[in-house]
Amino acid sequence: MKTKIVPRYGKSFKDRIYLPALFAGFKVTFRHFFGNLISKNELKSRSYPEEMPDDITSRYRGLHRLTQREDGSVRCVACFMCATACPAECIFIHAKEREDGVDEKEPKIFNIDMLECVYCGSCVEACPCDAIRMDSGIFSFIGEKREDFVRTKEVLLKTPKGETCL
Amino acid sequence: MNSVATVVVLVNIVIALLLSLGGAPLLVWMERRIAGLIQDRMGPNRCHILGFRLGGIVQSFADMLKLVFKEDYISKHIKKRFIFELAPIIVFVCAFLAFMIMPLADDLVIDNTSYKMQALPINFGLLWFLALAGLSVYGIMLGGWASGNKYSILGGLRASAQMISYEAAMALSLISILLVYGNISLNEMVRYQGELIFGFIPAWGVILQPLAAIIFIVTAYAETNRAPFDMAEGESEIVGFHVEYSAMKFGLFFVGEYVAMCASSALIVVLFFGGYQIPFLNTGDLKNNLHEVLIALMILLPLITLIFLKWMQKANAWIGDDDRKKETKRLSIFFGVLVFLLVIGLLGMVIFGLSENGTNIIVALLQVVVFGIKIYIFNFIYIVVRWTLPRFRYDQIQMLGWKILLPLALANIFVTALVVVGVS
Repeated sequence: MKTKIVPRYGKSFKDRIYLPALFAGFKVTFRHFFGNLISKNELKSRSYPEEMPDDITSRYRGLHRLTQREDGSVRCVACFMCATACPAECIFIHAKEREDGVDEKEPKIFNIDMLECVYCGSCVEACPCDAIRMDSGIFSFIGEKREDFVRTKEVLLKTPKGETCL
Repeated sequence: MNSVATVVVLVNIVIALLLSLGGAPLLVWMERRIAGLIQDRMGPNRCHILGFRLGGIVQSFADMLKLVFKEDYISKHIKKRFIFELAPIIVFVCAFLAFMIMPLADDLVIDNTSYKMQALPINFGLLWFLALAGLSVYGIMLGGWASGNKYSILGGLRASAQMISYEAAMALSLISILLVYGNISLNEMVRYQGELIFGFIPAWGVILQPLAAIIFIVTAYAETNRAPFDMAEGESEIVGFHVEYSAMKFGLFFVGEYVAMCASSALIVVLFFGGYQIPFLNTGDLKNNLHEVLIALMILLPLITLIFLKWMQKANAWIGDDDRKKETKRLSIFFGVLVFLLVIGLLGMVIFGLSENGTNIIVALLQVVVFGIKIYIFNFIYIVVRWTLPRFRYDQIQMLGWKILLPLALANIFVTALVVVGVS
C-alpha cells in the first residue's frame, strides 16, 4: 500500500525562530490594510441601506405573492394545499364559490402571518396552480404592530414580481 | 518653585494625559477601523454629531457614553465587594501612572534653568515602569478571584502565571540595554540615542541591541495582555477575568488596556527607537539648525495636508450621500485654515528669528510631536499584530517565556557585558 508522507512543519530552525512566519503574516495584513485604505473597491462588505444586494436570484425565497390570471383575477382556487403543507401553519384561507364562471372556487380570505412563516417554500412547492410564489425578491419586511405582519389577499395580489429576479 | 516651573510641570502632565488617556478613544477607533480594513470590511462609520463623522471616531465617544450610563450591576453571589470594585481601579491607575515617567522632550532650558520634560520628574523611571507593570497584574488577579466565577478565576490565573514568566525575561532584557547605555535615567538613554555610530547610523537601541529589542517587544506585548498573548481574556475559550463586570467597571479595564498599550509602546520607543529624537537631528543639532528645519516644515506641512485632503475626498465619499460631501468640505476648510495659520506662524518665526527661550520651546514642541508620532506608529503595530497572529496556546506561552526568551536574555547579558568590558 502506498503511503503519502505529509511534511511536518515547525521543527526546522527557520520555523522555530518564528520571525519569518511573523513577517509573512504582516505582509498579508499590510497588503489588505493599505490596499483598502487607498481604494474601497476591494472591500467585501456592502454598506447595506445605501447599497442594495444585487445577487438575489429568481430562486431566492422572499415575501410571498399571489399570482394573477390573464384577466387579472386571482389564480388561487382555495384548494388548501399550501395551508396543509405549511409546517408553521401560518396560512389562513376561507374559500367561497366563484361566480364569474372562470373556476369553481376562490379564496375569500387569504392571510399569511409573516411572524410565523419560516420561509421554507413548501407552499410554493405544494400549489397545483402556480398561484403562490416567493419570487418578490423582498427580503426585509418591517411593521410596527402584530397586525402589520399579517399579509392579506389584496396585499399579496398587489406584490409585484421582484425586479432583481432574473 | 517659581511660576515657570509650575507651568512646565502642568504642561507636561497635560501632554502625558493627552498622549495616554486622551489616546484611548482614538485607539479604540484605530483598532476597529484597522481590524475592519485588514479583514476587508469598513469598520464603524455611521455615528455622527451634526453630520461630523470624523471617519468614525465619534463611535468611540458614543460607546464611552454608553458605558458610563449603563446600569452598574453587581451580582449577589459576589461576597468580596471591596476587592471586586478595587480591581479595575488598580489596572487603570497602574497603566496610567506607568506612562507618567516617559521623557516627552529633552530638558527644557528657560532663562538658564533646566526643567525636566517628564510628568513625573524622577531618574529611576525604568524601575517605576517595571514595578507598576508588575502591580497591574494584581488588578486582573483580584478581579478574577473576587468575581466568584470559575471562568474569571481561570482568566486571572492564566494572566498571573503569564505575567510572572514574562516579567523575568523582560527585566533581563532590560539589563543588557542598561549595560549599553550605562545609565538608568530614561532621559539620559534617549540623549545617548541621539548620537551617531560611525557617523551615519543613529545609535538607536534597536541597532545596538537587536536581540534585547525583540525580547523586550515580545514581553511588552505579553505584559499588556494583548493578542497573541491575551490568555486572560481568550474570548473563544474562557470569556476572561472581567465576565462579571459591567458598565464603567468594565470600561476601566477596557480603557486601562489601551493606556497600558500606550505606555508600553512609549517605553519601546524610549528604549529602542530613539525616544523623542529625530533621526540624524539630536537636540543640539536641532537647536543650531532650527531655521532650516522650520523652512522644511513650512514646505512639507502643506504638501502632506494636500495629499491627506485628496485622500479624504476619495475615502469619505458615499453613494448618493451629500452629508459626507458636506463634511469633507468643512473638514477640508478646517485643515486648510489650520495649516495656513501654522505656516504663517512658522514664516513669522523664520523671518523675525527666535529668542533663545523661544528656540528651546519650539525644539521641545517638535520633540513632543515626534515622540507622539512614534508612539502611535508602535500602537499601530500593536493593533496590526493583534489582527495578524492567532492566540498562543497556554503551554506554548510558558515554553516561549521560560525556554526561549529567558535563556536568550541571559546569553545576551553575558555577550553584552563582555563587549562593553572589552570596548572600555
